[in-house]
Amino acid sequence: MIRHLFKLIWNRKRSNFLLITEIFFCFLVLFAVLSLIVYNVRNYNKPLGFEHENVWLLSMRPDTDSTALNRQTLEQIMQRAKGFQEIESMALTNSNAPFAFSQMNNQLSYGEKMIMANEYLVQDDFDKVMRMQVSHGRWFGQQDNASHHYPIVINRAMQQQLFEGEDPLGKLLHRNDSSNYQVVGVVEHYRPSSEYTAEEPGFFNRIQLPRDEKDFYGELLIKVKPGMGVEFEEKMVKELSGIGKGWTMEVTTLEKMRQNKAKVAKVPMIALTIICVFLILNVALGLFGVLWYNISRRNSEIGLRRAVGAASSQVYRQFIGEVLVLATFGLVLGVAFAIQFPLLQVFEVESTVYLIALGIAIGLIYLLAIGCAFYPSRQAAAIHPAMALHEE
Amino acid sequence: MLKNYLKIAWKVLLRRKFFTFISLFGISFTLMVLMVATSLFDHTFGPQIPERDMDKLLFVNMMREEHSEGYSSSGPPSYHFLDRNVRTLQTPEQVSINSMFFQVNSYINNRKLALDIKYTDREFWDILEFEFLEGGPFGQQEVAGASRVAVINENTRNQYFGEGEAVGKTIEVDQVKYKVVGVVKDVPVLRVNSYADVWVPITLRSQDFNKPGFRGLYFATIKAHSPDDVPKIKDEYAAMLQKLEDQHAVKGSKLSSFPDTILEAFARTFLGRGREPGLAILYTILAGLTFLFMLLPAINLVSINISRIMERSSEIGVRKAFGATSSTIIGQFIVENVFLTLLGGILGFALSAAVLKLINDSGVIVYANLGLNLRVFTWGLLLSLIFGLISGVYPAYKMSRLKAVEALKGGSK
Repeated sequence: MIRHLFKLIWNRKRSNFLLITEIFFCFLVLFAVLSLIVYNVRNYNKPLGFEHENVWLLSMRPDTDSTALNRQTLEQIMQRAKGFQEIESMALTNSNAPFAFSQMNNQLSYGEKMIMANEYLVQDDFDKVMRMQVSHGRWFGQQDNASHHYPIVINRAMQQQLFEGEDPLGKLLHRNDSSNYQVVGVVEHYRPSSEYTAEEPGFFNRIQLPRDEKDFYGELLIKVKPGMGVEFEEKMVKELSGIGKGWTMEVTTLEKMRQNKAKVAKVPMIALTIICVFLILNVALGLFGVLWYNISRRNSEIGLRRAVGAASSQVYRQFIGEVLVLATFGLVLGVAFAIQFPLLQVFEVESTVYLIALGIAIGLIYLLAIGCAFYPSRQAAAIHPAMALHEE
Repeated sequence: MLKNYLKIAWKVLLRRKFFTFISLFGISFTLMVLMVATSLFDHTFGPQIPERDMDKLLFVNMMREEHSEGYSSSGPPSYHFLDRNVRTLQTPEQVSINSMFFQVNSYINNRKLALDIKYTDREFWDILEFEFLEGGPFGQQEVAGASRVAVINENTRNQYFGEGEAVGKTIEVDQVKYKVVGVVKDVPVLRVNSYADVWVPITLRSQDFNKPGFRGLYFATIKAHSPDDVPKIKDEYAAMLQKLEDQHAVKGSKLSSFPDTILEAFARTFLGRGREPGLAILYTILAGLTFLFMLLPAINLVSINISRIMERSSEIGVRKAFGATSSTIIGQFIVENVFLTLLGGILGFALSAAVLKLINDSGVIVYANLGLNLRVFTWGLLLSLIFGLISGVYPAYKMSRLKAVEALKGGSK
């Protein structure tokens, strides 16, 4: 039966050529869009590794170039901020705060291995502000002041890439000619850049103000008590501006920053999905029309089959079968293309993402084909042999 | 003759309503997506208020410094560089220096407004044609005296003061009080060179003026006397930069910065091709993407057209038997198809007008004011024609090759 169907389609390959190309392109478009969606959804469902509720980010831009002066003012500002009852804890950070648009990379090597990792410069209280869970070892703090190594906390992704099976605690990593990093803790997850990005290797480096005399950090993460709103924000900014005269201060909540980041990921996804749905609807309607037309042209053939004893359900099955075979031809071509993505590791995305997208795309194309063939095939099955043969 | 073809086309459309619907649906949606894209493109790169004389305007907003050790940095140029070297260029009619926009906060009645502030000079208002709803720009005197005056946009006025007059009132932004002197229509965020919520005199940031170095936080907007002067300005600018490079304190350092139109600036950052803006490549990429997008609906339309035309094989047979040549028949079907796509194009316009309104209202793009205009309309028409030709030629060719005898018998294999 199936061989017979393949033969039928193969014999009319010229007239079916367009339908096959259509299914082929349709499959490729679906595969591309689904890969993007699967990738984003899978990332979205993984833990972020921190909690951002009630955390604000205060960005400060000084108006002078003198670091010494700016540092003095910064310390006064932080002193004043600590005095607010409404603030639970706070930590300075580099410009790559959670959900910020900036990134900072550093190359690290251990033994033969060398990787690029995100470097997050943060103060000791960062784990309290962002409610981080250290799963192995500890967070850095005052007790590291005496150490002549730079204490760092790494995430699981970095541990897996750099240390593989080894226990990373206490290991030294080359920083520059005179100093080393020392791993003091591991966190399970940390994905600060957005909910839709994959976990990347990263490590937290300690900001120790008395030691780093030449550096200035203008971003302050503040965890406020629940329920604090614009009222407190205004009060805080007014007071702090009084200390940092001429400085530009900007406060935003991490929730707002998260929404901005999500928008950047979601808008293209939604636009692509809409375009994809439209393309597929278009193809579905086209397929439907052509199938209908083809089947109505084969009236006499159907009449003959019925006359020699085929049941209407058999005719019905034949037409559905033909469409499925047609779809299979298009899909074989399409899969041959699409399978290159996981095989060649394009875009450095996990193969699973592509395979899931491939599976869903194949399923959808078959559904589409059956959906389009359903009505025309019923029409065909309902043809009365006497009528069909009479017309001939 | 043409009238006859159109008449036949119309009758055929009415005969098979379902097929007509499928074809029109495909055509109109494809063209709608393309027209929305065109409108976005036009909105970002085309002449729009306040940047109206696009063929006379050039923008400098990048400066790249490459040191001999392989270290490089890029970003907006500094005031020092622009003031000393760009403002002094001979060919341009006018040069304005303005800062990039910074986000700052403003508090009113326990609400927070996140506003974008831009520091500008007097020339900024001459070069760009803002549409003032009330008041006017600040003048040379206010800029020279570093007065705390501000021009705000409509949205900020409504948010801060409520509806009604704002000129003369005081707005507090980032803990500084400014007197409002003018209110302008909202400028969409896509026009980075002129966009802001609040514009204030550049002299309020005079601490930046004497910082040496090439990189900073400033843009320059250059206006030429006439479009023919644009290449001359580019040449003069390049010569000026070359001279600076030779005088650079660190030998072997390279400077790159160009006065560009908005599209050139985009192509330069997007393609990263250094000295050549790469407009041709950008256009090729865009055309390629458009073609790929049209491909699927076009194939779809081709297969529908083939089934439709097959139905009319006896008609073709008769015409052939009476001596019509293949080319006449091809001509007829192409005319019919173009007629169909133009019909779809009109529907597409209606649809895209609706979609653009949706985008404007959704606030995805801040202060977007997307719309259909003559340029978008012309592009849409052109795209419809191309689409009609692509999808019409193959079925027509296939039909024209039918043998008269077979066609009269009613179809072919």
